Amino acid sequence: MNPKYRRLIIIIFITLTLGLATKLILMALEENIIYFFTPNEIKVKYENKQDIEKKIRVGGLVLENSVIKKDGTTKFNITDRSHQIEVLFDGPLPDLFREGQGIVVEGMFRNNKLIASEVLAKHDENYMPPEVADALIKNGVWQGEKNDP
Amino acid sequence: MIPEIGHILLILTFVTSILQVLFWSFNIKKSDDVTINVLIKSTFINFVFILFSFGILVYSFIISDFSLVIVSDNSHTLKPLIYKISGTWGNHEGSLMLWILILSFFTFLVSRKKHQISYKLLSSIIGIQTIILCLFLSFILFTSNPFERLNVLPIDGNGLNPLLQDPGLALHPPLLYFGYVGLSVSFSFAVGALITGEINKEWARQMRPWITIAWSALTIGIALGSWWAYYELGWGGWWFWDPVENASFMPWLIATALLHSVRILEVRFILINWTILLSILGFSFSLLGTFIVRSGLLTSVHAFASDPSRGLFILIILAIATGGPLILYATKTSLFKENKTQFNIISKESALLINNLFLTTAAATVLIGTLYPLFLDAFNGNKISIGPAYYNATFAPIMAPVILLMAIAPFLSWGIKKPNKIAKKLIFLSVITLLGGLGLFMIDESSLFSIICGSLAIWLLTGVIVDLTFQIKATNLRLNSFKAIFLYFSKNNLGVHIAHMGVAVFLVGVTGEQFYKTEFNIKKNVGDIINIGNKSLIFDKVETLPGPNYKSETATFTLLKDKKIIDVLKPEKRFYPIEKSQTTEAAILSDFWGDTYLVLGDGNKETGWSIRVYFNPLISWIWGGAGFMALGGLVSILQSRKSRKKLKNAI
Repeated sequence: MNPKYRRLIIIIFITLTLGLATKLILMALEENIIYFFTPNEIKVKYENKQDIEKKIRVGGLVLENSVIKKDGTTKFNITDRSHQIEVLFDGPLPDLFREGQGIVVEGMFRNNKLIASEVLAKHDENYMPPEVADALIKNGVWQGEKNDP
Repeated sequence: MIPEIGHILLILTFVTSILQVLFWSFNIKKSDDVTINVLIKSTFINFVFILFSFGILVYSFIISDFSLVIVSDNSHTLKPLIYKISGTWGNHEGSLMLWILILSFFTFLVSRKKHQISYKLLSSIIGIQTIILCLFLSFILFTSNPFERLNVLPIDGNGLNPLLQDPGLALHPPLLYFGYVGLSVSFSFAVGALITGEINKEWARQMRPWITIAWSALTIGIALGSWWAYYELGWGGWWFWDPVENASFMPWLIATALLHSVRILEVRFILINWTILLSILGFSFSLLGTFIVRSGLLTSVHAFASDPSRGLFILIILAIATGGPLILYATKTSLFKENKTQFNIISKESALLINNLFLTTAAATVLIGTLYPLFLDAFNGNKISIGPAYYNATFAPIMAPVILLMAIAPFLSWGIKKPNKIAKKLIFLSVITLLGGLGLFMIDESSLFSIICGSLAIWLLTGVIVDLTFQIKATNLRLNSFKAIFLYFSKNNLGVHIAHMGVAVFLVGVTGEQFYKTEFNIKKNVGDIINIGNKSLIFDKVETLPGPNYKSETATFTLLKDKKIIDVLKPEKRFYPIEKSQTTEAAILSDFWGDTYLVLGDGNKETGWSIRVYFNPLISWIWGGAGFMALGGLVSILQSRKSRKKLKNAI
């Protein structure tokens, strides 16, 4: 095969692959990004308005004395010390889930409640998710020393 | 006093390594015996000093010397010995010590290849390795001194995060680092080639075993991490596309691409620039991985021992180690003259090249998924996260053609000299795969992806077997003794076939776990029976038991199949009073066909306990597959030219 011709084929092939990959990435990013909110942001933007169509993540502290466990479902409030959101979760809680712990909840926002599909707490008891720390700093209630951003 | 010796040894190494780099840069053009011997000897000294320094740190952990900050922060007298030792690298400072220990060990190993590698290239390789060592030593000495003392001696230590007190995780960091740091050797080979302008087939031949060993270690390291996450976290999953997992996976993808491109270079002497670029990128990704894990910049549930202030330092190292070589690359690569022979579209090299393209693209999708949240945050303050759905939509479709080609590439021959007789094999392969796919369709027609994924596994597995059997049939060799069979196979890419089979086995595991698993939550009390299909679990008792440094709440279940007792499962919840934290220990009954995975949740005698049950079909194939991949890597090193000659002589 003519070398020029060959090079052309290779270049076309590479361009096509990269183009396809870019297309896939952009599509996937558009569909699969999960936005992160603080309870405060949700109150301001969405309370009594409409449900959020996509899955979201909410970060904050587990409000003290708000955890109620019943028939495998856990109900608790997540707070950034300025607002709070009620969370319903029927899955397994992470080991480090406890009152006052910084956590991130993933799920759908329906009727002013967060129907959680996942509750994430880190393996390290001193850890605070950076998003939660940011939110707490904004509200002026940050007390931690570790993981200062 | 002893820790101070460790500290002084580190400072001494820092000084000798700086002198060594200076010596090298003044003698960069020389390649005489004296120069090379000075470099080799000083490399040995660096290695010994660091080894002793590391030994002292391990010793401080063993004797629980709580006057050291990292010992008192990460250890405790009651901890079992093995976790006292593994606690050495279970923290930031110690893990960096492990990093430089492995780095100097690799440099030492390469420096012994005086008779295989040309002096000019070898002195550059040692020079580059030592520059990296200097960077990391300054990082340790200026920001993360492991031998820092406490003013007030504590009575006992704070203990190690209980999740890290585990045999799988004691071995995971050393193997992972072995892989990360091993990639520094190919990096130095590449930069050495750029500096000396010397590149040939021998260069590729010398470099390949180093990539292979790093790649094998990385494979096992990642697999161990995944296995640990599976049994220790109690989430029933094995891969979460978490930034920290991605951090180790990206160098693996690049190393896989490099492993194949260096082979093309070795045989055909083409793709010089591409191979050099991959070598540089491989180690850059290792550094990026370290940066991601150590900086705590990305939200991850797995990151341990992170500290943002030190992240900047690693970022600087990353910039130097990537930026410098890339500038050199841009200016020097036009010097290299490739083999100008014909490039056939249907040949082994083109199959490998296409796979290279896909592998690097796959690495790019992982990179974008990992870093995009960071950019968006910096750009407009939006906080987002990217989950498995993104990777399923990008990474998976990009890897599918890789698997397709992976089965075919071994059929093809190099270059254009020989005609490729592949039609017969291809037909055979396609028929088997179609039948397999049909079988999968009969089992479950609802999920298209499970059929695709399963068919790919069958395709690859069949491909490996077909290639081997056709090769045996094609020869007149009588394979009647074990030795003859081994010799025959070792001539024919046995390592490649084992590694590819590993990927197929891995894919079988993925198919089983992803598409056929069942999980449910249930609330039960002592005496209850859980029935699932032909199996049933009898909830026998819950008791409180003491452990060496924890208290355990242990439940006992009897697992019956067809009314016969198979096993007793004991899921636990452990409470570590020193660390004030709780862990879940899942009870796992693992066999060839799948795992029964039991997790004990919250509960008490009145209300019963919440229990999670998972059935994960074929999941152990995932780690088995990784084991085969690494084994394939090791076999292909053993198969290298030298050992083949030895075997020939042995007959």
